[in-house]
Amino acid sequence: MYRDFGTVLVAVILGIVMVAIPLLIQKLIAPSKKSKDKLQTYECGEEAEGSAWLQFNIRFYVIALIFLIFDVEIVFLFPWAVVFKELGLLALIEMGIFLIILIAGLAYVWVKADLDWVKRNVRYGTGRYQDVRMEKTT
Amino acid sequence: MIVPLEHVILLSLALFSIGVFGVLFRRNAITIFMSIELMLNAVNLALVGFSRYYDSVDGQVFVFLVMTLAAAEVAVGLAIIIALYRNRQTVNIDEINLLKN
Amino acid sequence: MTNLQSLDLFWPELIITVVILTALIVDLCIEKSKSDVVGWVLVIGLLITAIAIWNQDKTTTTLFTDMIVLDPFATFFKLLIILSTLLVAVVSWQNNELDEYRKGEYFTLLGILVLGLFLMASSIDLIMVYISIEVVSIMSFILAGYLKLDTRSNEAGLKYVVYGAFSSGIMLFGLSILFGLTGSTNYFIIQKSLAGLDGSASAALVMALLMILAGFGYKISAVPFHFWTPDVYEGAPTTITAYLSVAPKAAGFAIIIRFFHQVFADGGALADAESLSMTDVPWPEIIGILAVATMTLGNLVAIQQESIKRMLAYSSVAHAGYMMLALPVLSIQTVYAIMVYLVMYLFMNLGAFFVVITVKNKTGGETFDDYRGLGWEMPFIGVVMTLFMLSLTGLPPTAGFIGKFYIFSALISGGSQYYWLAIVGGINSVISLYYYFHVVKVMFLEGERKETLVQPPEVMSGVLLATAIPVFLFGIYWNPVVNWVQNSLIFYVQTM
Repeated sequence: MYRDFGTVLVAVILGIVMVAIPLLIQKLIAPSKKSKDKLQTYECGEEAEGSAWLQFNIRFYVIALIFLIFDVEIVFLFPWAVVFKELGLLALIEMGIFLIILIAGLAYVWVKADLDWVKRNVRYGTGRYQDVRMEKTT
Repeated sequence: MIVPLEHVILLSLALFSIGVFGVLFRRNAITIFMSIELMLNAVNLALVGFSRYYDSVDGQVFVFLVMTLAAAEVAVGLAIIIALYRNRQTVNIDEINLLKN
Repeated sequence: MTNLQSLDLFWPELIITVVILTALIVDLCIEKSKSDVVGWVLVIGLLITAIAIWNQDKTTTTLFTDMIVLDPFATFFKLLIILSTLLVAVVSWQNNELDEYRKGEYFTLLGILVLGLFLMASSIDLIMVYISIEVVSIMSFILAGYLKLDTRSNEAGLKYVVYGAFSSGIMLFGLSILFGLTGSTNYFIIQKSLAGLDGSASAALVMALLMILAGFGYKISAVPFHFWTPDVYEGAPTTITAYLSVAPKAAGFAIIIRFFHQVFADGGALADAESLSMTDVPWPEIIGILAVATMTLGNLVAIQQESIKRMLAYSSVAHAGYMMLALPVLSIQTVYAIMVYLVMYLFMNLGAFFVVITVKNKTGGETFDDYRGLGWEMPFIGVVMTLFMLSLTGLPPTAGFIGKFYIFSALISGGSQYYWLAIVGGINSVISLYYYFHVVKVMFLEGERKETLVQPPEVMSGVLLATAIPVFLFGIYWNPVVNWVQNSLIFYVQTM
């Protein structure tokens, strides 16, 4: 048993060393010229603006909720996929019915326009987005 | 190597108690929901432990269903919190007290 | 039975599933102003389901490899649930509180609730118990918070979801301990393993039992798991309040009866024989004490209420207490008495809440002040409400009296150790007289008499008659109910 854990330990140590060595080399040979632009938070090449602690649009929550519901249903697909071959056609039909019911739920969300991002005014914009007011487009 | 059943149960009991205390003493609705999730996951741990102990899959099937239902419950809970927040601008349980004698 | 064979006996649930999906899709295709149509889909679907249940083979068997059971006991509860859902669905069209909202989801959710309640009445496996209770709970959360622009409804929803998730979490831990002690999720196997359990495990068993009682007690709103009841009942749309006070409570009793008689007793009572508690866990005493606490607290707090809706909420807690009184006695008579009581309770409690809806539609309020002189202004409402109040108190010649009579006689025939329960129940009925008659007094003796008579809308009058006539009729001639219950007392049971 200790041998099993020993393997894991060696792997962990190796991992740390392999990351540490390049960092160390880079530190030793690269010239260090600090400037204001370089020290800024990297934001995909854009200039960072405003605080990250702003209130997020409530749309994120709705999308997250929808994702949560459909995501968890996958848990039933995995065991089914494992025994699918032995159970044959019956299992296929059963899972088809299950998925049809799920798709009815998706259709519901779709028609109710909960998948549309731009649906109402942006109320919580800050920073450079402060003045943006998107009117209802749907 | 198998972790002894007692350890699994004790860990599960500890997590469950943390969840219960969180529900009883926290005042933020979102935190309360996180505590409830902790309770449910403690149960999942116990179920998986028992399932391993008895060498049956019943417990694991139970865990799957608990996970799904917990997700549904939390989705509904969060939706209700959002609706409440839009009307009251608060998620503090103590400030939500319109319905009292 | 295997899965494919079971489908043949699973038609009612399959029909409801189709009805739910149809309702959902129909709702997507119509405008908001026409969303009442979905109600028609639900009502027609439920009628078809009722016919399917009625024509089902009267066999007793287990379905889906011992997951749920099909027996006349479950069928009884299914018909009871359909009856209450139909009444509530019809009244929902008339409820002004819902006017601002789409009603499509409302009716769809009611349909899913019915499916969950069906499974609750027939589950014999811990997994099914948890799923069915959760389905019912989650749908009730949404329906309680359905008026999303109304802060009180939001608050009702939030309180319901917090208490509900908490108590179902506790129940789940109890179920997992039970699974850990016995190694199975099936009632019958658990029963056999518990009988062979040695004394050292009984502490864990008591803990499991108390935790499971938390979940069940929450569904029937028994003390000390009743905290949500008054707030949720007050904030939820009144139709939903009426529904929650009847249908989930009935299914909750079904699940409790099945669970305790099959898992913690030898199942003999359900087979109409002598029955014994299988374990040395004192569960009959625990339930007896909870019952006494439930009805006493319900009645004492109901006296102090100013809102009739909230008063009725506490009164429904008290009624859960009356029904729980009969649970500690392990005999078939007590199951019989609870079932008779549930039928009577369905009509009188739904009726009382429907009166609250009618009055709120007219005056916009639900406190005692809004009922001043109402008996003279709306004589029909006054008379019907008086009848419901008489019945809820348990005075003859109303259905409530018959229900109480059966409960108390079952207690007394159970032996002298249950007499005290009957006495406390009697005292509680006298206490309840005070606040029920307060309503009647306010309606007829207070406020100025108005000369103009106001008629409630025809549909409401019809539904009120449909609940009032049984309340009166079953007080005089209760044979149909008794016969129906008698024929439904057949369980799928495995005695030891």
